[in-house]
Amino acid sequence: MEGIDRADIVIGVPSYNNGRTIGHVIAAAQAGVEKYFPQFRAVIVNSDGGSTDGTREAVLGTGLNKEQLLLMTTPLFPVHRLSFPYHGIPGKGSAFRLIFQIARQLDARACVVVDSDLRSITPEWIDLLLRPILHTGFDFVGPYYHRHKYDGTITNSIVYPLTRALYGMRLRQPIGGDFGISRRLIGRYLTRNDWETDTARFGIDIWMSTIAIAEGYRVCQSFLGAKLHDAKDPGLHLSDMLHQVVGSVFRLMQEYEPVWTSSTGSQEVDLFGFRYGVGLDPIEVNTERMIAAFRRGCEELGEIWSAALSPETYAAIRRIGARNPGAQDFSLDDDLWSQVVLDFAVAYKKQPVERAHLLRSLTPLYLARIASFVRETRLLGSDEVDERIEHLCLAFEHKKPELIRRWNNKPEPASHQPRRVESTADSKLRMEV
Amino acid sequence: MLGLLEQIIKQAVERISSQILTYVPGLLAAIFILAVAWVAARAVRWLIIKIFKGITFDRFLKRSGLSSIIDTAGRLQTSQVVAKTVYWIILIAGILVALNSFNSDLSSRLTEMAVFLFPKLVAAAAIIVAGTWIGRYFGRTTLIWAVNEGMPWPRKLSAFVRALFTFGGIVAAADHLDFARDVFLAAFILVVGGIVLAASLALGLSGRESVRNYLHEGKGTAEENADDRPLWRHL
Repeated sequence: MEGIDRADIVIGVPSYNNGRTIGHVIAAAQAGVEKYFPQFRAVIVNSDGGSTDGTREAVLGTGLNKEQLLLMTTPLFPVHRLSFPYHGIPGKGSAFRLIFQIARQLDARACVVVDSDLRSITPEWIDLLLRPILHTGFDFVGPYYHRHKYDGTITNSIVYPLTRALYGMRLRQPIGGDFGISRRLIGRYLTRNDWETDTARFGIDIWMSTIAIAEGYRVCQSFLGAKLHDAKDPGLHLSDMLHQVVGSVFRLMQEYEPVWTSSTGSQEVDLFGFRYGVGLDPIEVNTERMIAAFRRGCEELGEIWSAALSPETYAAIRRIGARNPGAQDFSLDDDLWSQVVLDFAVAYKKQPVERAHLLRSLTPLYLARIASFVRETRLLGSDEVDERIEHLCLAFEHKKPELIRRWNNKPEPASHQPRRVESTADSKLRMEV
Repeated sequence: MLGLLEQIIKQAVERISSQILTYVPGLLAAIFILAVAWVAARAVRWLIIKIFKGITFDRFLKRSGLSSIIDTAGRLQTSQVVAKTVYWIILIAGILVALNSFNSDLSSRLTEMAVFLFPKLVAAAAIIVAGTWIGRYFGRTTLIWAVNEGMPWPRKLSAFVRALFTFGGIVAAADHLDFARDVFLAAFILVVGGIVLAASLALGLSGRESVRNYLHEGKGTAEENADDRPLWRHL
């Protein structure tokens, strides 16, 4: 940091063994700054979690072919590149914390964070994530991508519908990983004292998005095109990621209870950038294995699910689990899935079982939902899949009054009809019988 | 002859009278102490149920898993069990004090033994409860982990972990009470040694496979096949 006393822009790139892709990300970020913000002082910060594959060397050594950039204006200041190992709990959140601390130290007006495994990042991403903050006064810019219909499944099946239903903002990628943040919001993040929780790991993205929305900061999103990236480290287990992200959502639900219990419906979030269609990497999904994992959960995790879920929801889940394993009509529909997630949210608050157990026991149910979604959308195009996701969001929004009632331990109204928790496949089965 | 008989009877009556006179005050005192202890025990039991009901003690115990140690079905209210335990402790203490009022060697020894053993018994019980609770927690953790990882026999694995921690608690309690210390300790060492051996064998066997792959194919671990890939791709 010697010789750098202030900066207008900080671009943060958290990494852990991303030597293969980070060079491209750093080059794109530098090109973005030099091309779109030549009058600003910028620093690119790599916050590394102890990579052993030459990630840090790639950050410091990647060259940028400026002859190909065709810059309209010569940059006034050189773009500095820094790479630091962060300390504390290993995870993306800890890496972000270091980036934000540096941004504050340099008194940066805005900070952009981008994932280090991106293959589709272009210099325009930096412009799209920074410009709404520097020129339009927004505090938080979320990403809006085109993704394969089976990519971003935690976002599509839990985080987006739940966040939208709770806080009433249709921020499409609340855990996208690529954000623009204002100085004001960075200051707010750094004053928080929950950095040592799941926030230090994969909970960071939803933590940032939720704070921005729930505390009334100006939030928008920018269309970035396609999101193509390396697959996550296979060593990272789904259960860990799922429980960190969902745990963060539930924990913040407790903190922002007055905010979400008083809002209804949802509204669009301003979207910057020109939307266009893109090609995407195909993704193969093995639904048989997912269904097998769900059935195993049905057989073994009854004691936890029966405590976490309402009796009707649990009965419906048991019925699906008891179905013929080879059944082609396997389905965990929107209504039942939204009920499962909201039951887990209530259970997280009331703690009939340990929270860590509760969150990890969600994995087989989540896999069942993904298997069901994949089977139902196998032949659908991206627009039709978006409609399905919209339908799921509406199911979450529809159940919000019931969530509030159960969250606050209020009795069921006399006129309340029994919930329909039976899956579509259940109805079909009954008709056949 | 009649005089001798009369004398014997008279001595017997005097002896009995003397014994009655010696023991009756003690007996009366014992009865009084017992009555007081019984009333106190009932009052404390009532108080405990009332107090813990008001602060949802049962919900806390249920949530922490402590109540399931006593009753897995969850029908029993733990606050009532605690109240009953306190009730019996007070009653037994009353009995011991009552016995002591006879001022005999036996009653004194009994009281001394009870007073000496009581704290140790309470500590041993606490150790066993803690061991059972920890066993239950890690048993459940193992169950969920095994299910999510697709491990075989998740329930058996969970039961094993649970039993191991519970057994560890019993060993510690026995050690604390100086009760069959060597037997429990030897059994515990055998069990832990067996686990370490099994784990070493498992690691060694799987490591051999990795080394073979590395030497023959130039890879640290076996190439991911379709079934080894993560079930999902990204957040």
